[in-house]
Amino acid sequence: MEWVGSPVCDGGGMSKSMTHKTSGFVLAAWLCTLLGWVVMTAAQEDDRGTIQPAQARQALTLIHARCAVCHTTDLIVQQRLPADRWTVTVEKMMHWGADLSKDEAAVVLQFVTARYHSGAPDHLPSIEEELALTAPAWGPSTASDGPLVGVSERGAEIFARNCQACHGEGAMGGAGPKLARNKILKNEGVFWETVLHGRGPMPAWGAVLSHQEISDIHAWLATR
Amino acid sequence: MTVSRREWLRTVLQGIGIGAAVGPGFPSIATAQGTEAGQGTGPLTVRVTRPFDAETPVREFASWLTPNERFFTRSHFGPPSAETVQPDVWRLTVKGLVKEELTLSLKDLQQLEAVTLTAVLQCSGNGRAHHRPKVPGVQWERGAVGNAQWTGVRLHDVLQRAGVKSQGVHVQFQGADRPALATVPLFTRSIPLAKAFHPDTLLAYEMNGRPLPLLHGAPLRVITPGWMAESCMKWLTEITVRTDETPGYYMQQAYRIPETAVRLSSGLPGSAMVPVEQMPVKSLIAAPAEGDTVRIGPVTIQGVAWAGEAPVVKVEVSCDNGKTWEQARLLGESQPYAWRQWQYLWKARQVGPTAILCRATDAQGAQQPEKSPWNPGGFLWNGWDRLSVTVAA
Ligand code: HEC
Ligand code: HEC
Repeated sequence: MEWVGSPVCDGGGMSKSMTHKTSGFVLAAWLCTLLGWVVMTAAQEDDRGTIQPAQARQALTLIHARCAVCHTTDLIVQQRLPADRWTVTVEKMMHWGADLSKDEAAVVLQFVTARYHSGAPDHLPSIEEELALTAPAWGPSTASDGPLVGVSERGAEIFARNCQACHGEGAMGGAGPKLARNKILKNEGVFWETVLHGRGPMPAWGAVLSHQEISDIHAWLATR
Repeated sequence: MTVSRREWLRTVLQGIGIGAAVGPGFPSIATAQGTEAGQGTGPLTVRVTRPFDAETPVREFASWLTPNERFFTRSHFGPPSAETVQPDVWRLTVKGLVKEELTLSLKDLQQLEAVTLTAVLQCSGNGRAHHRPKVPGVQWERGAVGNAQWTGVRLHDVLQRAGVKSQGVHVQFQGADRPALATVPLFTRSIPLAKAFHPDTLLAYEMNGRPLPLLHGAPLRVITPGWMAESCMKWLTEITVRTDETPGYYMQQAYRIPETAVRLSSGLPGSAMVPVEQMPVKSLIAAPAEGDTVRIGPVTIQGVAWAGEAPVVKVEVSCDNGKTWEQARLLGESQPYAWRQWQYLWKARQVGPTAILCRATDAQGAQQPEKSPWNPGGFLWNGWDRLSVTVAA
C-alpha cells in the first residue's frame, strides 16, 4: 500500500515496479488536476441526487464493463475513501490494465469520489442494482429500430474490450465458456437474452453495449 | 485458463460449503455483495465475489478448530485451474542460491518427515473495516481468521536438501495463481531465511486432516506460524533463494506498515515502511452474538485469543463498556501458535442495552489496545473486540 497521507500529487504513490503502458508522471499530473476539481465540487455532489443522471449512468456503465475484468464491482462499492485515495486507486488500476481513456477515467473518478466517500452510508446498492435503477428497460439503444446487421470487423474489437478477459482470446474460453463455434450462436434468442440480461456470473450487457454493438460481436463470433 | 466456467465454479465452491448458500445457481455478481452468509443463507460472509474473498461468522469460533468449509478464504486472483494443481502435473521447484536445483512431486515431498501443528491463520487486513479514517482494500470485519491443524514437511528440510548457498538470505515463494491480465503484478512474496529455517515453518499438504482444499492452496501451501497469512503462499510451485527481499508490488508496496505502528518505541522515523510479519495479540467474542438479547442472570461469554510467537496469558472482559474489567478463564492448555479458548460467567443484573468487550495480554506483556494505530493499508487491527447486547428481564 502506498502512503498517501501527505503529498498526493508528487506521483510518489506510484511504484517503481509499475512501469507499464502510460507514463506514470503524465497520468499523475492530470489526475492531480482532476483531483483539484473533484475536491472543489465534492461538497455539492456528495449524494447521488446532485450527480447528473446521465453522468452517473455513464460512470456505472464504465465501472460495470471495464472494472469487473479482474474483480467484481462489490470490491469497489464497499470502499469509503477520500478523494486523494480514490485518485491513487483508479490510477493504480489503470496502470494494471483497466481500459479507460482520460475522459472515461475522469467520469469514473468523479462518480466514485462523490458516491463512495468517507461519510457515505455503510450500505449502498451494487453497481448492477444502480444500473438497473437508472437504465431504460432495454438499454441505451432501444430507439434504434429495424433489423440490425452486425459488422464482424467492429465486433472483434468490442469483444476484445468487453468479453475477452473472461471468454478468452479468440473466444476460446477462460473463466467463461468457449463462445467460438458455441451452439448458442445459432440460437439468437438465447444469445441475446444471455448477453442483455446476464446469467449467474456472466454480467448483463443491456445497459452497457448498444444493440448494434452486440450484433457486431455476434457477427464476429459467427466467423470464429 | 482452460477450464469451463462451470467447472471453475464447481472447483471454487468445492470444499467450502458455499453450495448450500447459493442454491443451484451462483449468486449473481450483482447480488452477492454483502451477502450475509451467516444469516440463514450459508456459512460465510462474502466480501468479494471474484476473486472469492469471504470471512467466517465469529460464532463459528466457539469451536477450537475451524472446519475447512467454514474457514475464511482470500486470494488476489482466485485459484489456478484445478488441472494445474493435479498431483500428476504439479511440481515444486527449488532454485536460486542453492547448490542443487530440485523439482519435487507431492510424493517426493511426502517422503520427508511429516509434521503436524495447530496454528492460527489470519489475513493481515482482518478488521480493516474498523480503521478510521477508512482505508482501501477488502473491508474485512472480524472473521478473516481461523485455527486449523496443518500437516506437511519442514521448509527447512526441503531447503537443506537443495543446500542453501551462503549468500542466500531471503526465501521467495510463487504460487500457481495468475491475474486476469498479464499487466497486473504477480503475487510473489519472500520471508527472511531465519523464518524459513525455523523448524515450525511448514509446507503443508493437509488441513484439519484432509488434503488441502483448492481454495486453501492445494496441493501445497506455506505455513509460517505466528505470522500473518500473506506469507503463507497458496498453490506453491516455486521456491527461490535470493540475497534480497522480493521486489515488486506485493512485497515492496502492499503488506507494509510504518515501523512506528509495529514497534512504538523503535525510534525510527514514522515513514519507514516494514513488511507485515508477526500477529499482534488479539481476542474475539464468539458468543453471545452482536445484537443478541440475553436473560438477566448468569450469561456465559466465550471466545478465543491468540498472539504471534508468544502465548496468551490473560483475557479480560468488560460488561460495562470498558469501565471495569474482569479476568476470563483460559480453557485447555496453551499450545504455541494455536488460539486459546476462554470463558467468562457474567452475572447480568441490569436490564437494558450494554456493550461487551474483551482484550487479551500475551507473555511479553503486550495488551490489546482499545484501537490499533492507524496505518495506510489498514493492517494488523487488534483493537478490543466489542459487541452490543440487550439484557431482558
Ligand atoms: C487489470 C485488472 C484490474 C482492473 C481492470 C481493475 N482492477 Fe481494481 N484491483 C485489481 C487488483 C489486482 C486489486 C488488488 C486485489 C486484491 O488485493 O485482492 C484491485 C483492487 C481494487 C480495489 C481495492 C483497493 C486496493 O487498492 O486494493 C479497488 C477499490 C479497485 N480495485 C477499484 C477498481 C476500479 C474502480 C476499477 C475500474 C476503473 C478497477 N479496479 C479495475 C485489478 C484490477
Ligand atoms: C466477468 C466475466 C465475463 C465477461 C466479462 C463476459 N462473460 Fe459471458 N459468460 C461468463 C460466464 C461465467 C458465463 C457462464 C454463465 C453460466 O454459467 O450460466 C458466460 C456465458 C456467456 C454466454 C452463454 C454461453 C453458453 O454456452 O450458454 C454468452 C453468449 C456470453 N457469455 C457472451 C458474452 C459476451 C458477448 C460478452 C461481452 C460483451 C461476455 N460474455 C462477457 C462470464 C463473462
